[in-house]
Amino acid sequence: MTLASLRLPELSLAAAAALTVLAAGCSAASSPGLTSPAAASVASRLPATPAAPSVTLNETGSTLLFPLFRSWASAYHQQFGQVTITTAGTGSGAGIDAASKGTAAVGASDAYLSSGNLVSDPRLLNIPLAISAQQVNYDVPGLSQKVHLRLTGSVLALMYAGLISYWDDPAITSLNPGVRLRHLRVVPIHRQESSGDTFLFSSYLATSDATWNSSIGYGTTVAWPHVSTALAEQGNSGMVSGCARTPGCVAYIGISYLTSALGLGLGEAKLANAHGQFELPDAQSISAAAASFVSLLPANETISMINGPAPSGYPIVNYEYAIVSRVQPSAARARDLQSFLHWAITAGNDPDFLNQVRFAHLPGDVVTLADAQIARIR
Amino acid sequence: MASTTTPPAARTRVPVRGVPLARNALPRRWQASTPRLIALMMVALVVAALAWGAVGAWTVSQHSAAASNVVSVREPLSVEARGLYQSLSDADVTATTAFLSGPRESLAMRQRYQADIAQAGAVLADLSAAAAAGEPQLDASLRTVATGLPVYTGYVAQAQTDFLLGYQLTGGSFTQVASEQMHLVLLPAARAIYNQANADLAARSAQATGLPWIAIMLVIFACLGFGLYRAQRWLSRRTRRTFNVGLLVTSLLLAMSGIWLLTSFYVARSDLQSAEVHGSAPEEALAESAIAIQHARGDEILNLISRSGSTSFSGDFNAIRNQVGPGPGALLTAAARANQGSEAAQPTAAAQADARAWYASGDKVFSLDVAASYRAETGLVIGTGHGSSAAAFAQLESDLRTAIADDQGVFSSGAAAGANAFTGLEAAIIVAAAAMAAGCAWGLAQRLREYG
Repeated sequence: MTLASLRLPELSLAAAAALTVLAAGCSAASSPGLTSPAAASVASRLPATPAAPSVTLNETGSTLLFPLFRSWASAYHQQFGQVTITTAGTGSGAGIDAASKGTAAVGASDAYLSSGNLVSDPRLLNIPLAISAQQVNYDVPGLSQKVHLRLTGSVLALMYAGLISYWDDPAITSLNPGVRLRHLRVVPIHRQESSGDTFLFSSYLATSDATWNSSIGYGTTVAWPHVSTALAEQGNSGMVSGCARTPGCVAYIGISYLTSALGLGLGEAKLANAHGQFELPDAQSISAAAASFVSLLPANETISMINGPAPSGYPIVNYEYAIVSRVQPSAARARDLQSFLHWAITAGNDPDFLNQVRFAHLPGDVVTLADAQIARIR
Repeated sequence: MASTTTPPAARTRVPVRGVPLARNALPRRWQASTPRLIALMMVALVVAALAWGAVGAWTVSQHSAAASNVVSVREPLSVEARGLYQSLSDADVTATTAFLSGPRESLAMRQRYQADIAQAGAVLADLSAAAAAGEPQLDASLRTVATGLPVYTGYVAQAQTDFLLGYQLTGGSFTQVASEQMHLVLLPAARAIYNQANADLAARSAQATGLPWIAIMLVIFACLGFGLYRAQRWLSRRTRRTFNVGLLVTSLLLAMSGIWLLTSFYVARSDLQSAEVHGSAPEEALAESAIAIQHARGDEILNLISRSGSTSFSGDFNAIRNQVGPGPGALLTAAARANQGSEAAQPTAAAQADARAWYASGDKVFSLDVAASYRAETGLVIGTGHGSSAAAFAQLESDLRTAIADDQGVFSSGAAAGANAFTGLEAAIIVAAAAMAAGCAWGLAQRLREYG
């Protein structure tokens, strides 16, 4: 069995150019009001301060967003003493459920709402809060952390399919000239539970490799090919610690866990984007990747940005979302929520907050669209 | 023939048979002379005859117009409104299926999507033209579809572009956004239009079969008949003439026009009610089934595209399965019961069997999804082979379409027969009423002439 070859960079360049041109043409139809004065004035109509009575807003959901929410909660309470925000890292699915049932004011999610969620509960909104990414970490003993192995989606697909079994396989060494790799078994690690991270990673593999796409595909759960050395771990922290104790591992991990992964001595890969460029997930490459989709963003801000057309963009980026109901139990509660969410996507997008978790800030047009969604909360 | 050579007894001003004695006790100015009574009687009967004609003609015209409106306007509009919903829904199912088919979307699929959108646009134009003024809700729904459709097609075009350029996931997210626009904006509005068209059809049908004006006609009929009887009896006693030809002819015309009116109304009401029970009701149940299964088909496809791990799609699919049936209280079961013995019975029974087969495929689809066997799931959802969900759905859709067409035929022929029952009646009642008025005037004028 051989996996299909990489997409030709030339083809990708042409496609990217065409996409950019078409995006400009289509954005007016698909995103009415994106840059209109009406949309721009929405922010001025949002409450700058919460209602006077003291209130507690509870947030639950994504573990990736949890650290950011915790620092936001503290800063917001300092600024507006009457508002207390409680946070909990319970997973994106639980966050969506809680927002839908009204048991949480905000459900934090790594993924946008599916059509099924939206059709079954049309009151829900998904509001982007920041831009996140996913890195690929590995433990190859003897390799300096300053060396970032170059990996492509196709090579990763072969590694996760068990068709590349050793780190010194020619498919890897040819991507990394000058790097001496040991004859060490590859240990692919994947998430045990259904997860947004698995969705993002398998999406990258599916968009990079036709054979993976047709045989395995992408999803929050994936039927991983049987590989004798493979491991399954729970949560991002499990992925980090599992990889740290397993020489030869390769693992996909949310960007807010990069600091702890590096602290445990794991290597960080440069991933090939659609142009064949190898990029690390830093602020520039994440922002560049997201920027190429801004003009396409529909009014409900649902979009997949995996392996996009930006030449210097990192390939696995996504919006982190607040899932909220636009129908709140009271006007005061609606005002509190509007005020906090607007703060989160403006003052809360300050590098002081985002750098802690390595997220990138939202582009201005995305903030405008998000404000328009926030304004719908009643 | 009605002339006489003997002066009438009334001239003697003595109590006569048939005139209550009490009247003679009335003050003189209150006591009417016989010629004056005859003149009053003539005026009253002529007015009553003309009222019979006027009210009868108006009633017939109202019922006939309502019945004709059901056949030629409301029923076609209802069918068009359903067509709008189905075109939109089919466009969405086709667009999402095409997405799953991969970059090499078949020409047939592209053409089907384009035909659906074109059909929806044409029907929307027809419905907008036919919408009466002063229906703000209908107007709002039509406007929602008119403004939302280009947004939907814009999202689909964006999804197709992304997909063709190799940005599969971005195309997938736009396919979902398009579907959300369809399910949250367009289909609810199309549903409201369909409900409004159905309500109008039911209202017109009720007007065509309604009883109030026929009851009023019966009251006029009884009053006029009683008046003619009493007038003839009074004349017979007062003038010693057994018959008054003019009044006799009027009575016969009244009886004939009354029987015609009642018979026509009975036939029209029976035909229209039968058309409703054996045509419209099962047709509506089948149409509701067709709408529901398209929604469920969308669930299968969007579940495969979104791969979110959410169970909302399978939950929705199962809810629709219970609604459509077959099963107790389900739409297909109700349609099968109403279609017993009709031409639509066979395709309805086939649709029930198809639905079971499709549900079985759906169960496999959702279990494959849980197992993350996306390749097998895709093959089952969009594959055309025997046992695939797509094939089972197409068969179910086809049999439903046949059954709906059969029921539509039953309704149309029944409603047309009902509308035809009034043919010629309006003119006949007008002519009869004129002749009745003339008969009364002529018959009583003969008597009056005898008093010089």
